[in-house]
Amino acid sequence: MADIDTIALVKDIDVDKYKYGFTTDIESEYAPKGLNEDTVRFISNKKNEPAWMLEARLEAYRRWLQMDEPTWAKVSYPKIDFQDIYYYAAPKSVSAPKSLDEVDPKLLETYAKLGIPLKEQEILAGVRKQGEKSDLDEEGSEYASGKVAVDAVFDSVSVVTTFKAELAKAGVIFCSISEALREHPELVKKYLFSVVPQGDNYYAALNAAVFSDGSFVYVPPGVRCPMELSTYFRMNAKNTGQFERTLIIADKGSYVSYLEGCTAPTREESQLHAAVVELIALDDAEIKYSTVQNWYPGDAEGKGGVYNFVTKRGDCRGPRSKISWTQVETGSAITWKYPSCILRGEESRGEFYSIAISNGRQQVDSGTKMIHLGKNTSSRIISKGIAAGRSDNTYRGLVSAHRKALNARNFTQCDSLLIGDKCGAHTVPYIEAKTSTAQFEHEATTSKISDDQMFYCMSRGLSQEEAVALIVNGFVRDVLQQLPMEFMAETQKLIGISLEGSVG
Amino acid sequence: MSTAIAKTAAEEALGFQLPHRRMEDWRWTDLRQLIDKPYPPRQKVRALPGDVERLIGSSIFSGIAATRMVFVNGEYDAAHSKLANSYVESRSELSDPVNLMNVAFATDGARLRIEGNVDTPIELIFIATDASPRTVATRNVIEVADDASATIIETHLGEGSYLANSVTEIWVGNNARLDRVKVELESHDAVHLAHCHVVVGHSVTFRDFTLTTGAKLNRQDGTFRFVGEFADAKVSGAYMLAAKQHADTRLVVDHEVPNCASRELFKCVMDDHARGIFQGKVIVRPGAQKTDGKQSSHALLLSETSEFDAKPELEIYADDVACGHGATSGDLNHDHVFYLKSRGVPEAEAKALLIAAFVGEAFDMIHHDGIKAALEDFAARWLTEHRRKG
Repeated sequence: MADIDTIALVKDIDVDKYKYGFTTDIESEYAPKGLNEDTVRFISNKKNEPAWMLEARLEAYRRWLQMDEPTWAKVSYPKIDFQDIYYYAAPKSVSAPKSLDEVDPKLLETYAKLGIPLKEQEILAGVRKQGEKSDLDEEGSEYASGKVAVDAVFDSVSVVTTFKAELAKAGVIFCSISEALREHPELVKKYLFSVVPQGDNYYAALNAAVFSDGSFVYVPPGVRCPMELSTYFRMNAKNTGQFERTLIIADKGSYVSYLEGCTAPTREESQLHAAVVELIALDDAEIKYSTVQNWYPGDAEGKGGVYNFVTKRGDCRGPRSKISWTQVETGSAITWKYPSCILRGEESRGEFYSIAISNGRQQVDSGTKMIHLGKNTSSRIISKGIAAGRSDNTYRGLVSAHRKALNARNFTQCDSLLIGDKCGAHTVPYIEAKTSTAQFEHEATTSKISDDQMFYCMSRGLSQEEAVALIVNGFVRDVLQQLPMEFMAETQKLIGISLEGSVG
Repeated sequence: MSTAIAKTAAEEALGFQLPHRRMEDWRWTDLRQLIDKPYPPRQKVRALPGDVERLIGSSIFSGIAATRMVFVNGEYDAAHSKLANSYVESRSELSDPVNLMNVAFATDGARLRIEGNVDTPIELIFIATDASPRTVATRNVIEVADDASATIIETHLGEGSYLANSVTEIWVGNNARLDRVKVELESHDAVHLAHCHVVVGHSVTFRDFTLTTGAKLNRQDGTFRFVGEFADAKVSGAYMLAAKQHADTRLVVDHEVPNCASRELFKCVMDDHARGIFQGKVIVRPGAQKTDGKQSSHALLLSETSEFDAKPELEIYADDVACGHGATSGDLNHDHVFYLKSRGVPEAEAKALLIAAFVGEAFDMIHHDGIKAALEDFAARWLTEHRRKG
């Protein structure tokens, strides 16, 4: 059944064009172009931040000045002129996150066009009507599942956060990070930079200096977050970089599932996106973080597109905590992204599921790091790379067990699929076992869609493109299943679009 | 990163900058730090004939009928050699640090051209006798003519403290077969740096096995290029390391043409504080369709303080290929040990058996039975012998 649905979905897709490439015509306020200490002060001032935050930003900026751009990834692009970028752009109509009724209708329209409903009575397409009973709901639960709270970030600011009141009832704090800095400074101060410090790497330092918005989540002890949380990032303004920072804290025994989606308009110039995500899971807590990244990938000749240089790291700080990353990477001209887990707590667990699809001239260098520090920690990595067109797709990962990480356990599988003879698929895993009790297994394969598989599908009446979409969906199935329901259908469709025009 | 760093004493003596951890290929073997004393190059050392004979006798292949060629302290030793050196020119285009060091300091080495079918194995023995610390560098160039076949053994033996730098270039002609076996049994106070560069032609069958068990610090590079179609290469190795031994192997298997098959298999056993490293890279160039490349590395860590690091890499630019790699690391399987013990095999013996079986897979593909038997025998004795000594 699922296969038939997939084919139907693929059929629905009209053209091989980037669907989200439209621009919203809205008046924006910018910071002066370029980067210096004044830019940092300007952003901090705009956000009405406490003094310590400005200090932390300036510290990060000074560290950034001392650093060199990393060149080890298997990507090539013209040198970025950091003085030719706007570091802050906000729609004029947004001064602070407001209630839904006050949001500029133009912005609401944009999100509606992207398929992201911001109205609270609506639910992400394809799931279930709100209030409808589900078998998954706990007995007597007052929140019917199927709801998704959205934090919508437009260029440098958060436009609105939905379902805040309902979340607050459960004690969950879900707001933009600027708001958190004002409303919950003690929490932010305690956890911000504790997983990704200001000077962690070149782009993380840049982000720490100029980050403008992002989401903040705090789930109190013992609370299972009543609905999916999500942030939708939209880049709109020209020549603007987007630097958001997400901080998620799951306190003892809590659970939260978080989704992130991103799109940007079609532009001839490349845009820079350097985000940082920090996750903290305390004792027995679990965080599930899913991303569907669909930034503008550039045109067929590689003109334009988003440079996606992202630092994502989770810290399993408490015993028996768990962090799981699921990512679907289909967009961006260049992806440089390694969601990692630091397995500090005893018996903590890290997971990484990834689908990276590259077509045209896209370059992907992505993977994960699993750093085993505590006893009896375990991790699992499933990575599926698909390269088509003239793209390059690299998996780069590290699995390491420190001397005291007794009985650390890892299983890694990275498979690559090549479509066409002009693309490249590469695997660069690093494995470091410093104790004999660690058990590591790593497996990688590279292959193409076999002629037999194609022949079989086509002899059953599928067209070539349908057959490819079907086989590819089968190839990535292990990862797709990890995605929240809301994203699964969407992602299958996305895979079809991303690979369109790659055969024949 | 600043390059203006003060030279270490070892660099001063060599007049040469050593590779360090900021260089990607050397991330786990920082020679600047690990080579902690000077090894001046080009030192003339006279060896006592008794020492030479004793060392030759300690080769694990001394019981095998072989045509021998002996190099003592970097110089050809006519008295102990059956085979004379011929003249074959070096054609290598490598420029890695080990090779550059070799070009600067090599004093001698085997130069062989193999024609026809050579049935008796050729054993090249490299000996360093006990003397003041120094660098001993040799460069071998071996050409295997079209349709020829041979088995070549490289045995490295020594006593005392020295740095051995050994580079071997091998050119294998069309339809030829070559089995190469290298046994590294250097002194436990020695440093062994090596690079083996192999270019194989059309329809070649090539087998390469390296046993690394000597020296306190090892770094061995292998570069294997396929330049003719339908060739088949198997490159394997075994580490048997104990105490504070450190061994790093970096292989690059480069498929430049279609229809070739390559297999790499590394079996690494580490005891005590030993550290084993395997870095393997398979490159499939654009157009090298129908390549079949598989690589695997497996580590057995016998003590909690031993360590294994691996970086199995794939770089693929052709779609119609079947490539893969696997890497595992872990302890001896307790169930296996228990099984043998329950059958009355003492624990030490059970472990030795399992270890021998584990590494044995790596030299299974060698054609010569005598060589295989000698390696099996060494592997079976290794655990008890090193633990007795330690």
